Amino acid sequence: MVWAWLIPVLSFAAVPLIILFGKRLPAKGSPLAILAILAGFAIFWVVFAGFLSASPDTEGCEIGVGTEALTCNFKITWFEAGIPGADTSNHDRIEVAWGMTIDPLTIAMLGLATFVALMVQIYSLGYMRDHDGNFDPRLDWYYAFHALFIASMLTLVLADNFLLLYVAWELVGLCSYLLIGFWHERPEPREAAKKAFIVTRIGDVGLLVGILLLWSQVGSFSMTETFAAIENGVLSDGVITVSALLLFLGAMGKSAQFPFHVWLPDAMEGPTPVSALIHAATMVAAGVYLVARAFPLFSASDTAMLVVATIGLITALGAATIALVATDLKRILAYSTISHLGLMMLSLGAFGYTAAVFHLLAHGFAKALLFLGAGSVMHSTDELDVRQMGGLRRVMPVTAILFSIGALSLGGIPILAGFWSKDEILVAVNKELPVIFIVLTLVTALFSALYMARAMFVVFYGRFAEQFEHVHDAPKTMSITMGLLAVFAIVFGLLALDLPGPFKGIGYFIFYHEGHGLVVVAWVMGLSTLLAIAAFIFGYLAYARRSINLDGTRGTFARVLEVAENKYYVDEIYQWTVDRVVLSLSRFIAWVDRALVNDVGINGPGDITRVLGDRLKYHVTGYVYTYALAMALGLIGLAIFWWLVSR
Amino acid sequence: MVPLVAFQVLSAALFAIGLYGVMARRSAVLIVMSIELMLNAVNINLIAAASHLDGMGKWANFDGQIIAIFVITVAAAEVGLGMAIILRMYRNRSTVNVDEINLMKW
Repeated sequence: MVWAWLIPVLSFAAVPLIILFGKRLPAKGSPLAILAILAGFAIFWVVFAGFLSASPDTEGCEIGVGTEALTCNFKITWFEAGIPGADTSNHDRIEVAWGMTIDPLTIAMLGLATFVALMVQIYSLGYMRDHDGNFDPRLDWYYAFHALFIASMLTLVLADNFLLLYVAWELVGLCSYLLIGFWHERPEPREAAKKAFIVTRIGDVGLLVGILLLWSQVGSFSMTETFAAIENGVLSDGVITVSALLLFLGAMGKSAQFPFHVWLPDAMEGPTPVSALIHAATMVAAGVYLVARAFPLFSASDTAMLVVATIGLITALGAATIALVATDLKRILAYSTISHLGLMMLSLGAFGYTAAVFHLLAHGFAKALLFLGAGSVMHSTDELDVRQMGGLRRVMPVTAILFSIGALSLGGIPILAGFWSKDEILVAVNKELPVIFIVLTLVTALFSALYMARAMFVVFYGRFAEQFEHVHDAPKTMSITMGLLAVFAIVFGLLALDLPGPFKGIGYFIFYHEGHGLVVVAWVMGLSTLLAIAAFIFGYLAYARRSINLDGTRGTFARVLEVAENKYYVDEIYQWTVDRVVLSLSRFIAWVDRALVNDVGINGPGDITRVLGDRLKYHVTGYVYTYALAMALGLIGLAIFWWLVSR
Repeated sequence: MVPLVAFQVLSAALFAIGLYGVMARRSAVLIVMSIELMLNAVNINLIAAASHLDGMGKWANFDGQIIAIFVITVAAAEVGLGMAIILRMYRNRSTVNVDEINLMKW
């Protein structure tokens, strides 16, 4: 288990190697990155096995504070500052460690991240080629960024203190910027990359302030110590609420929660495998992970929990409605991700810790699969507008089947993974929150199934779009990776059931305070299943068979549809705010800087000195007798003065 | 015995002549000579005061003489240095007229 640190370090090590020697290696050094993450994936299983056989008596392990789950910590000192040997609690000294925490949450994230990253990197070998089969000219950089991305994410997941987490957090942000803007020859990816970076950075400020606030109260960046302080009542309720909300601000930025969701749909400008990675395993998962990791903090404040749940619900519902009307295949998937991240946040806010993490995993597999499928479609057809597509299963059957599995899984069709995790979320929401929440969550679930049905039926079924007669199906590197993800999208949900053996089911593995088996609330499960199946049948009739004509309804709801198609004008509101408020304020500040600080404050003394010098310079004639006369007159003056004084 | 005032008048006159020379002359050599004149005026003043004080008490006071010796020494060094500078000046600018050497200004 101690060797878990190797998982990110291997990928980190691959980065400079690929950058330096990639050009001279076969396939531009991409095998290095793939081998690194493959080794990471292998080590993950070793760590997992070690963790399952560990007990609180194992060295470094204990029952975690807050979670009550087995937690193993390993660390070495990174740096110390302050008075040597002083006590850390009153800020005379700080100790920061390169440390890792291994608990069920970490294990789950490690598994998801290494697996999806491995699939995505192998898939990219097929995807990052042009139609003649040549590699992208900057493939080495692409793989270097990928390795750095996943290494940062793994560090984030393993970090046992907030400072290390923050470092990794920012690295993840940097990598998303680099990869979204990977094709920076075109203007849109550049803009999208900047948008992603800036929007998430706004949230990151909150995260940093929150971390520092916690440190100022606890005197340590260590998560264990922070949670212990909360448990022991050292922190006041106000501090807990404020710091939880600040941390949540960071999570909102990274996990694209309303109103910071605007960057994620634009991030579609990056290569599609990058979208798969961002949406499933890294980046957006980081926000949900942060809230789950800091759950002892969040759950100690009812206000924070309610805010998390409300923001989650708003995001889930809003994004789902946009996904219903979006016409770009990748954007449908992007808004679907935002919606599902909202559901995870909602679940966390409803104390559904297990459900949220479970859904993060189930969604991760399904969404990675869907994106890789969309990438396959795009790779073959160079088309993303779903209105131009149709009946593609005739020319790309493998992609069609695999995409459909992902869509059905995410849509919540029974026994596929998404069904189980969504059901757990609904149960948690039903148990903890007012009735309006469960109603709206069910609506979201219905929409979620609807837009998945729409994306699947419009693109792959129905009338065949003739212009795609000659497109080919995905190459092996792409179809095999999608197939592996599809297996998980199908069977992963079965972990929700009570299983025999040491791994008794996800509820006994990832839990907060106490483990529990599958909770079935009959009407919730029945209703959600009914809604999902109804949505897919409706989707089949409306989009594949075209036996339900939607044009009439479209006319009736034209105004509503327009608002949703314009993404609730959030981008426009931001643009207006930036143009009118931010820029005018900036102009005023720039004026203050130029007119007051520069012209008066800096040039003022300079001008005075220069003018004074101009006036005074004429007494320096350069003639010896002037100086001599001045000296003589000075002497005489002194003599007279002396005489007057001494008299 | 010549009264002290006579020496002081002589000294003051010499000093004034030296000062006039420094200010009025254009030749650097003459200015240096005028400075010498002023230094020697001071020397006369010092030695006169010292020998006048001699007669006034049991213990003779040599301070004036000692300072005069110092002044002579320093003056000798200064002349050496001054003449060297003037020589360099002449080599560079072919003149020792101080009015033409007026670059030490703005």
